[in-house]
Amino acid sequence: MEMKALQKLLATLDVKIKEGPFKIVHPMFGAINTMLFTPGHATTTGPHIRDSIDMKRFMGIVIFALVPSILVGSYNVGAQAGVEGLFAAFLFGFIKLLPIIVVTYAVGLGWEMIFGHINGHDIHEGFLVTGILLPLTLPPTIPLWQVAVAVSFGTVIGKEVFGGTGMNLLNPALTARAFLFFTYPGNISGDSVWVALDGFTGATPLAAAAASTGPAVDALNSAGFSMSDMFFGFVPGSIGETSTIAILIGAAILLITGVGSWRIMLATVIGAYGMALIVQFFGGDVAGGMRSLPPHYHLMLGGFMFGAVFMATDPVSAAGTNAGKWVYGILIGVMVILIRVFNPAYPEGMMLAILFGNVFAPLIDHFVVQANIKRRLNYGK
Amino acid sequence: MGVFKLKKGYDIPLQGSAERRLENAPKTTAVAVQPIDFRGLRPAMKVEAGDKVSRGSILFVDKQKPEILFRSPAAGTVREVVRGERRVIQRVIIDVAGDSAEKFHSYTADQVKALSTTQAKEVLLNSGLWPVIRQRPFSRIADVEASPKAIMISAVDSAPLQAESDMLLDGQEKKFQLGIQLLSKLTGGKIHLSVSAKTKAFFANISGVELHEFSGPHPAGNIGVQIHHIDRIQTSEKVWYLSPRHVAQLGSFLSTGEYPGSKTYALTGSELEKRYYVTGTEGALVSDLLSTTLQNYTQRVISGNVLTGIKSSSLGFVGFYDDMITVVPELEGRRFFGWVRLGLNANSFWPMFLSRLTPKKKLAPTTDMNGEERAFVSTGEYEKVLPMDVLPVHLCKAILVEDIELMEQLGIYEVAAEDLALCSYICPSKIEFGDIIQKGIEAMEKEG
Repeated sequence: MEMKALQKLLATLDVKIKEGPFKIVHPMFGAINTMLFTPGHATTTGPHIRDSIDMKRFMGIVIFALVPSILVGSYNVGAQAGVEGLFAAFLFGFIKLLPIIVVTYAVGLGWEMIFGHINGHDIHEGFLVTGILLPLTLPPTIPLWQVAVAVSFGTVIGKEVFGGTGMNLLNPALTARAFLFFTYPGNISGDSVWVALDGFTGATPLAAAAASTGPAVDALNSAGFSMSDMFFGFVPGSIGETSTIAILIGAAILLITGVGSWRIMLATVIGAYGMALIVQFFGGDVAGGMRSLPPHYHLMLGGFMFGAVFMATDPVSAAGTNAGKWVYGILIGVMVILIRVFNPAYPEGMMLAILFGNVFAPLIDHFVVQANIKRRLNYGK
Repeated sequence: MGVFKLKKGYDIPLQGSAERRLENAPKTTAVAVQPIDFRGLRPAMKVEAGDKVSRGSILFVDKQKPEILFRSPAAGTVREVVRGERRVIQRVIIDVAGDSAEKFHSYTADQVKALSTTQAKEVLLNSGLWPVIRQRPFSRIADVEASPKAIMISAVDSAPLQAESDMLLDGQEKKFQLGIQLLSKLTGGKIHLSVSAKTKAFFANISGVELHEFSGPHPAGNIGVQIHHIDRIQTSEKVWYLSPRHVAQLGSFLSTGEYPGSKTYALTGSELEKRYYVTGTEGALVSDLLSTTLQNYTQRVISGNVLTGIKSSSLGFVGFYDDMITVVPELEGRRFFGWVRLGLNANSFWPMFLSRLTPKKKLAPTTDMNGEERAFVSTGEYEKVLPMDVLPVHLCKAILVEDIELMEQLGIYEVAAEDLALCSYICPSKIEFGDIIQKGIEAMEKEG
């Protein structure tokens, strides 16, 4: 009965807000309204019944898949800062992460509300994912005002100028991160930002490998980064990107539910692994640096795994055709290794590789579509 | 015999299939012939309210092609010519009384064999049964002047709860064969008859056709899908198609010399008390057919199947091309946090609900949209339910930007709205693929 009363209240509010002086908050209200209760619209034409899936569940599952990365990432932020104890370390890290998420949501949803008002639609669910993805790709020490500026850039320039969700060329979360990287590099790269302690400097494994003069694996070992640390995520780095195992659990959720494209994930791994093998084969005589890093290390270092699982697979900015997804994924995998190996100024290649892939995705799809057209023309000949 | 094993597609696990039991329908009180059942038709009326008609009397003709006749499936009195917006004629309702019938020439198999193409067309046009033949591209009544490269008949019943062809044709093998003989006069090409493992026994002894066996989930039974696999349509080619039931109806007309107004329907759907087959009248009043199995009309009553049927009511009449009625539960209201439910009974193509663990379990989903319209986001899944080399999202985008040339290149000639119905069903963004395809087809027709 309380439910019916609540529904009635929501219906009244819906009309009041839509027609009242605060109609700018209606997109936000609409989103909350339909989150509390299903929209309750019946079909009018065929198909008379519809799949139980909607965008809320679709995006909700992505967030669910990010939970392991949030948990392990938070713990690691605390552990890196020297906090003892499982829960204490988690709490320390979560307190660092939470304000970043809050700022991202507050600023991002503000923009979404404005554009929802202009375009006459509710806030779309895609932002809920963007709002978690971005914080997880940032260092724990990131100044919150920079987060606010980056989210604004990512949402407005990365998405809304193209026409909003579904129309954007680039992944909005990565656009925001790239913006930070090029405008405030001091706060998102280098050796002093990864551990949430003032004045503490410590390189990420990626930077350590890039800077090595001897074999990269030796450099990693002597810096104290064991294979298992990198796999479980107990190394300095962006909050959600360090734990390979947590990301793989997320990947399993995305793959089982069919939300994430297995083609893109697999192709990205194949592209990177293959390119790293090639680089190692031809550059094996080089004493140190990235060229001496075995392929499987590449997959665990930096933002590779997080990017391959959560960023490259963004269905809007990725290639949309099934054949195109293979090309797109391999392209990203190859690019990330090329950037890491041949651009010593910038050891992390994943962000740029995916944005590069995003830019080429429409072209890749174009060729797939042309092939379909050609098959149709040639049929029977 | 061609064998086609289609992998793509999806069978929605629905409760409410009809028992294989045939009964006579309770008395038919009214029938209707509905110009809106024939896409693009503009009727010229030949009767008005109050006129007495026999079974086989002409009710209206096609204004553009007056040789295409529409005859009454029953005798009685014209109750009303119902007009909708802008006075468009929607249906002609006849109150049924008696069974007087117009008499036509009847034909033996040998006499049909002796007919020329022109004579065969004349017989067919005069019978009032020409509209049973439809044409691809565009899925409309066949052009009288066209010479189709093939005629296709699908006895593959893949749609949700679909009436089974052999039940609809019970005891009508001879009539079916006679119908095939008439059809063979209309094309220089082949008559393709597609069957499934279930229906092939019934059609095993039919001659004059090329048999194909299709297996796989819906839409394997759709004519568009079968044309795509047997012999694709290329520029300016036409393929005619009709249902097996209509073939038998042609045969019945030829052998009896009367308009065959009787028709068998499957009564299906979880909300019916009893589900079975009934023999009633073409264009029957829905509430007549359902009078012994549905008491009140608070649920969704559909003429046709759940994917492509038309919403009906107690006052509605079954569509000309429909041979089933489906009744499913109507939406019950808003659900608290519906999007986070575990979904033991959630109908879904996607492996995102617990119901995935019991894929065989039949469900009774309501008419809930289960969401709101969003931008195209998901990719790669629609292809899984479309067993054709067509890119559904790209085709729809071409239609939305009204790029005629691109629509043509991406295969608008090969599809009808029904072929993409499952794309609408599985879509998380609730995009109406069928409506978009329909819009594209109308744009192509306008373009000429």
